[in-house]
Amino acid sequence: MLQRVQSTNETRSERNYQVAKWACFVISLLLIAFAYVDVGTISIGSNNYNLSLIRLNKAIAYTIAILGLQVVIGYTGQIALGQSFFFGTGAYISAWLIADHSWPFLLTLLIVVPSCFLLGMVLGLPALRIRGLYLALLTFGLAAVFPSIVKLDKLYSYTGGAGGKLTSNYKFIAPAWLPFDEVAQALQKIPLLGGFFGDGPLSTREESRLWKYILFSLIAGLCFWLVHNLIHSRPGRAMRAIRDNETSAATSGVNLAITKTLSFGVASALGGVGGAIYVAEVGIASPDDFSSLVAIYLIVGLVVGGVGTLPGAVVGGLIYALVPDWASSTQSISFVPERWLQGPTGSLILGILLIVLTLFLPGGVVAGWRRLKSKMIAKQ
Amino acid sequence: MDLLLQRIFDAITNGSTYALIAVAMVLIFKATTLINFAQGEQAMLGAFAVLQLWNWGIPMWWAVIIGMLFSAALAAGLERAFIRKFDPTDHLPLVIITLGLFLVINAIAAIIWRFDPQSFPQLFPSGNAFTYNNVRLSWYSIFAFGSCVLVLLIFQTLLTKTKVGLAFRAVSSNLESSRLSGINIGPTLQFGWALAAAAGTLGASIYAANPVLQIEPSMMLRALIFSVTAAALGGLDSLWGALIGGLTIGFVQSVVVQYIPFIPNEMSLSAAVVVLLIVLTLRPSGVLGTRTVERV
Repeated sequence: MLQRVQSTNETRSERNYQVAKWACFVISLLLIAFAYVDVGTISIGSNNYNLSLIRLNKAIAYTIAILGLQVVIGYTGQIALGQSFFFGTGAYISAWLIADHSWPFLLTLLIVVPSCFLLGMVLGLPALRIRGLYLALLTFGLAAVFPSIVKLDKLYSYTGGAGGKLTSNYKFIAPAWLPFDEVAQALQKIPLLGGFFGDGPLSTREESRLWKYILFSLIAGLCFWLVHNLIHSRPGRAMRAIRDNETSAATSGVNLAITKTLSFGVASALGGVGGAIYVAEVGIASPDDFSSLVAIYLIVGLVVGGVGTLPGAVVGGLIYALVPDWASSTQSISFVPERWLQGPTGSLILGILLIVLTLFLPGGVVAGWRRLKSKMIAKQ
Repeated sequence: MDLLLQRIFDAITNGSTYALIAVAMVLIFKATTLINFAQGEQAMLGAFAVLQLWNWGIPMWWAVIIGMLFSAALAAGLERAFIRKFDPTDHLPLVIITLGLFLVINAIAAIIWRFDPQSFPQLFPSGNAFTYNNVRLSWYSIFAFGSCVLVLLIFQTLLTKTKVGLAFRAVSSNLESSRLSGINIGPTLQFGWALAAAAGTLGASIYAANPVLQIEPSMMLRALIFSVTAAALGGLDSLWGALIGGLTIGFVQSVVVQYIPFIPNEMSLSAAVVVLLIVLTLRPSGVLGTRTVERV
């Protein structure tokens, strides 16, 4: 309630500050896009770290899936670990529509969102009776069975079995009216910094990559806006009431059944959107991309970013997309035996992050940042 | 008929190994109402330690015992370092910590022993104890089931006849009252963790000693789902329920799934999850578990 009062009374300068902040954010996103549209690598020592838009596009997919987890775990307090199930479902539905029925990507979302929403509601029904750890168990089981479901012989014509479903027949073509080339050329002419933006006109491949990035960012922005509104509306307050104390929420008139299934539905729909974006980026839906390890990694993203914070989903998505990849491209550090770098180092780092953050910074990176910021302001 | 009998024997074999891991889950759940997602990985690490000791030339059963002691000590350390400081009624951080342990232990085992499957020493005499037409009951099945029952009997005695067992039961029955009556909660729970890890290691060693299986870092993931289902089926706080649950899951996997034509063979994991779903929805406290009543 307090927050609402404050936000309606915000002064003009504060509003200008907010607008400026968001404008800076959007411009920096665009600059990053143009800077890394050709395969960008950073070299530290003898290791090359990949920073191309492919990684960032994956990060967007994970971000949206983690946003779903924020709704169901962060705001409703239901320990649902099976996000990879819905991530995979969305991915496969989208892949099937694109590959077998030649639908355009955006149109597949119209099918992915409602079907994942309904599936999430149906699978969320047991959550009305099952609580806490039992729910964690069951949802983890769901995540574990997903790969064996899509590998079923009977579904072969829809899912492509163990080999996966290719969606490379659909190409993202940037609309002609977007001045990508002109902007890129202009950025290259900036003195000193121009070198970061490559040289010469963009190839069609780079243009399509850039278009995907912008499109996915817009979808992610839309998801964030919708979830933000949901959290600050009546059902969102009901969700938070359930998280804080289920019994007292029920006694003050919150309909537990409807609110819980709604939050499961929203979370699953977001997972589905994330999966559809993932497939659009990778070009193939293959069973092992949606294993139970993915479910745990999404939880890592949730925790590292901060449970119950919306910006945390972005941090989490980036961590998930970049850390395992960078860990596997780190091939040599002096003092560290090679054996430790060639194994599943990414998984080790993510596990350590999960434990360390839960022990020392329960609110994740976002809470840490907020604490730091309030300390700085208090000092002035 | 032969086939049915053979499948029932297979069910008992698989079921006993699931039951051993399930017993570990039940012990921890009894004490802390926590499901340890890292239980399977801890057991896997213990089994690898056994393999390593055996490779160093230590006699097999000594290797198993030292491996059990090692994983018990490790579990006690993990409990002290990561679990004790959290409020046991707040489940989310605990689930997250055990998931973190899952990732870390799995990664460390893969870094040390690599992903390649390795063969595990035979713990039990090979060959068949009993052959009738085409039905074979291997010594392995008999010993697997026997060790499961033995472990349960030992735990039963430990929990009912010793002082630390009494303290453990008191803590699992009511944490606050047992603290007020002077029980040192922390070490008691630590004892539960150690015991659970030892049981898990024995379970994983027996599981890996199955002549048709090999040991590899990801071997416990499937077994974890089956064992968790077994534990939930029997009631998460009942020791003998774990055995019943384990045998039921083994039965579903090896007998029921084989006879239902529209379920393909590789769906046994999904069948286990469906069983879990049905049990949790219809009878959340399992077959032999105690019901909980929420007070406001």
